Amino acid sequence: MLGNQQVLQQLNRVLTHKLTAINQYFLHARMYQNWGLQALNDRIYKASIHEMKYADDIIERILLLEGLPNLQELGKLLIGEAPAEMLALDAKLQRSDIDAIREAMAICEEQQDYVSRDMLNHILDGQEEHVDWLDTQLDLIEQMGVETYLQSKL
Amino acid sequence: MYVCLCKGVSDHTIRQAVDDGLSSMRELRQQYGVASQCGCCKQCAKEVLADALQQKQRRFAQESLIDTDVCYA
Amino acid sequence: MQIDKDVVTHLNRLLAFELTSIDQYMEHSRRYEDLGLNKLYERINHEVDDERGHADLLIRRILFLEGKPDMETRHELRLGKTVPQMIEGDLALERENAKTLREVISHCEKVKDFVTRDMLVGILKDTEEDHAYWLRKQLGLIEKLGLPLYLQSQL
Ligand code: FES
Ligand SMILES: [Fe+2]
Ligand SMILES: [Fe+2]
Repeated sequence: MLGNQQVLQQLNRVLTHKLTAINQYFLHARMYQNWGLQALNDRIYKASIHEMKYADDIIERILLLEGLPNLQELGKLLIGEAPAEMLALDAKLQRSDIDAIREAMAICEEQQDYVSRDMLNHILDGQEEHVDWLDTQLDLIEQMGVETYLQSKL
Repeated sequence: MYVCLCKGVSDHTIRQAVDDGLSSMRELRQQYGVASQCGCCKQCAKEVLADALQQKQRRFAQESLIDTDVCYA
Repeated sequence: MQIDKDVVTHLNRLLAFELTSIDQYMEHSRRYEDLGLNKLYERINHEVDDERGHADLLIRRILFLEGKPDMETRHELRLGKTVPQMIEGDLALERENAKTLREVISHCEKVKDFVTRDMLVGILKDTEEDHAYWLRKQLGLIEKLGLPLYLQSQL
C-alpha cells in the first residue's frame, strides 16, 4: 500500500521529534539520578521509554505505507544544567512536539489517511498528559521553592 | 542550558565569553569548539551569541549614560 | 603459599583502612542515631558491615599468603561534628582508600598476583561506585536543598 507523500513527510517529521525527545529525557533522567533525585529519574526515564514506543509506532506505520523512516535526523537537544531548568526545557520540547503532531494530524485528515491520524491522536494524548505533569511541577516549584520541591523528589 | 553538547558549552559560558570580549561565531568556534563537531548547535549558538551581544551593548549604553549624569551633576 | 613478600605488606596497609573505616562509621552512625537522623544511621551502619566484609577478605588473603594480619594499625580518623563534616570526613577516607587500592592493584599486576588483584578490584568497585558516590551525592543534595531540608529528608 503506497502512502501519500505529504503524510509520509509529516510522519517522518514527527518521528524526528520523538527521537529527539527520547534522548533528551534519557539524559535528563540519568542526570537526576546522578544527583540523588531518584523520583525525578524514575518519572523521566519512563517518559523516555514512552517516547521510544511512540517512535516505534510511527516507524511501523511509515514502513507499512512503503516509506522510509528517517532515523538519521535528530533535532537539537535542550539539555539543562539544573533541575528546574531541565523541567522547563522538557516542557518547551514537549510543546513543540505537540504543535508538530497537530499539524501532521491536520494533513492526515486532509489526505483522508484516517488510520495515521488516529495513531497520532493516541500519541498526542500521551504528550498532553506529560506536558500537564511538567507544568504542574513548574507550578509547584514556583509555589514552594525549588529546594522544598526537590526534597519531595529524592 | 547546554548550547553545544558535543563540546559541553553552556549559554553561561558563552555570555561570560562575550563579557570578556568575544564577539563572533568564528571566535566561539575557535576558542570553545562550538559547532565544530556535529553542527546541530549552530543556530542556537547564533541566537545566544546575538542576545548576549545585545545585552552587553545595552548595559554599556546604560553605564555611559550614568557617567554623563555624573559629569553634569 | 607465597607469591611476593610485598603483597602482604600492602594488604596490611589496606586492612588498616578497612579497620579505620569500621571505627569511623561506627562513631558516625551512632551519632546520626543520637541526632534522630535514622536514615543516615541505617545507611552508615550498613556501611560498617561492608567494611567488615572488606576486612574479612583481606585477612583471609593475608593468611593464605602466609602473612600476619596487622589488626592494630589504623590510619588517621576523620571524625566530624556536624553532618556535612561527617560526610566530608567519610568521603576523604574513602578517597584515600581508593587511591591506595589503585596503587596496590598495580603492584599486584606487576608481580602477577592476579587473584589478589581481582579481589582488590571488587573492593575498589564498592569504594568508588557505592560508598564514595553515595557520599558525593549527599553533599550535592545539601547544596541543592540547603542543610535543613536535607536533614529533614533523613529523619
Ligand atoms: S552540539 Fe555543538 S557541535 Fe555538536
Ligand atoms: Fe572498604
Ligand atoms: Fe568504604
